[in-house]
Amino acid sequence: MEKFSNGLTLFFSLLVEAIPFLLIGVAFSSLLLFFVDERTLIKFLPKTPLLGAVAGSLMGVFFPVCECGNVPVARRLIVQGAPTSVSIGFLLAAPTINPVVFWATWVAFRDQPEIVFLRVGFTLLIAVTIAWVFSHQPDMRPLLQPAVARQMPKLRASAPVNPLLRSGTFLLQTDGTTLKMDDPAVQSLIASVPAKSMAVKLQLAIDNMVQELKELGAVLVMGSAIAAFVQVAAPREWILALGQNFVTSILAMLLLAAVVSICSTVDSFFALSFAATFTTGAQLAFLVFGPMIDLKNIGLLLTLFKPRAIFYIFVLAAQLCFILTLFMNFYVS
Amino acid sequence: MSAKRSRKPASPARKPKARTAWYRGSKLLDVLVLGAWSMVLFRYWITGKIFLLLHPDYMWLANGAAIVLLGMASFKLFQKKTVNQAPASHSTLLPPSVSSFILLAVAVVALIYTPRAFASETAIQRGISDSLTLTRAQPQRFVRQMSSEERTIIDWIRTLNVYPEPDAYTGQGVKVSGFVIHPDDWPEGYLMLSRFVLTCCAADAYPVGLPVQLAVSRQAYAPDSWLEVEGKMVTATIDGQRQLTIEPTKLETIPEPRNPYEY
Repeated sequence: MEKFSNGLTLFFSLLVEAIPFLLIGVAFSSLLLFFVDERTLIKFLPKTPLLGAVAGSLMGVFFPVCECGNVPVARRLIVQGAPTSVSIGFLLAAPTINPVVFWATWVAFRDQPEIVFLRVGFTLLIAVTIAWVFSHQPDMRPLLQPAVARQMPKLRASAPVNPLLRSGTFLLQTDGTTLKMDDPAVQSLIASVPAKSMAVKLQLAIDNMVQELKELGAVLVMGSAIAAFVQVAAPREWILALGQNFVTSILAMLLLAAVVSICSTVDSFFALSFAATFTTGAQLAFLVFGPMIDLKNIGLLLTLFKPRAIFYIFVLAAQLCFILTLFMNFYVS
Repeated sequence: MSAKRSRKPASPARKPKARTAWYRGSKLLDVLVLGAWSMVLFRYWITGKIFLLLHPDYMWLANGAAIVLLGMASFKLFQKKTVNQAPASHSTLLPPSVSSFILLAVAVVALIYTPRAFASETAIQRGISDSLTLTRAQPQRFVRQMSSEERTIIDWIRTLNVYPEPDAYTGQGVKVSGFVIHPDDWPEGYLMLSRFVLTCCAADAYPVGLPVQLAVSRQAYAPDSWLEVEGKMVTATIDGQRQLTIEPTKLETIPEPRNPYEY
């Protein structure tokens, strides 16, 4: 009974802490939807995979969202046809590389400024690497949930069908390719073209906010429930017992990061409570890996990607994180 | 996966009447969900239970969210017709009505259930014995000249963290409050006076504590009851370890404080 009560308290504590950030996230995402034309933004983004990955990773500076808020923004980018490297880079780096998180980490680790800068540096390195790897798959559709894939504009005919043998109504594009009119994605493109007044846009933005809040909120509820359950059921000392050695401390912190699911805006304070027992590398592993993948945001990521893609990202991020922080433990600190 | 079912945008084929009813129903559900969560956050705010969940630095966020959610609920309530543009067939993991019901159900639980501060069982489970080394470094705390009676439990632990030799504190006056833990492997004459320390929210609360030397059996003070202890510091060997221990001159039962955590 005591455990159940603690679990509930933990659960609500996680929710109460995460909901404001979720609100900020969906607000940014919705305002972005109606006030920023991503298609224009995407046009300005570099087309080469590597530069795109860097640009995407740094976009978080303009969108201070944590990992509960960046999934809707990333989804919007993908649906609007942003290059793979940009969206993946954004997805992985935005929760860490943004002013709010930087400030929070600075407050927490004022006496160890190297942690603040290494957190940003490692995140950037990992995000760019993974985004670059993923950019070798120019068509993201096979990795996405079908519902998201259907919304993506098919700006280039993907199947090599002889253009003379296709039926339907087409629009000729400037680069000579054609756009099939009855494609649902094109339909939505056409439908959203007319400019709307400010008031209508604001209304739509709020409507969209409610929609996303409900959807992501429900997922957040489930993630927090799992996180609270694991925290109550698995004794923390058991996880911490691993924390003395260079290798196991990093592994333990990676595991803790995935389990605790704490929001990137406040996770530095959480990590700080392990400052005395864990190696610097392990703390960095927590701070870098946590915002990329954790139990709570796997639920959110599932709204966007197929499990296979999430597994790839998870494995790549964990390995890179491990190698970088292990290097840090052995040669730097 | 049944969750793939995407929401049907009100199809033009549907009768206008049915469509209005559907629209009203889903609007009402939105208002309920937003309103209920706003109430949950307002309840924590007004009753002060938010102290059990969050670090004070982040409370304004939750309080702000309560206001924003209320605003969104009223916007939905007084909104006339939505402009006919649901953001292009939203992709969802869960059907929207399921999401709404989950959120509503959890909000109802949150309105009924009153959060409780963590107690001794959690402290033992989270491992209080080695918690001295877990405390975060805050050296600026020590710049201030503080008489030893003013130190809270966490201040004592932080001081010990910097200079761990218990004999250095012998004879210093102490006045602290906390809840009682009966550690299993301690003799009957000792109890642990403990507090949880919060760095951000209840999810990362960790316990710290100081031993108290008793003249009577510790059974006189039930686990989880709150005590205020005045006395002076001594060094005692408990369970094979030399520890800084409080020798009380006054032991008083106090009610659980409104804000049971330390920061």
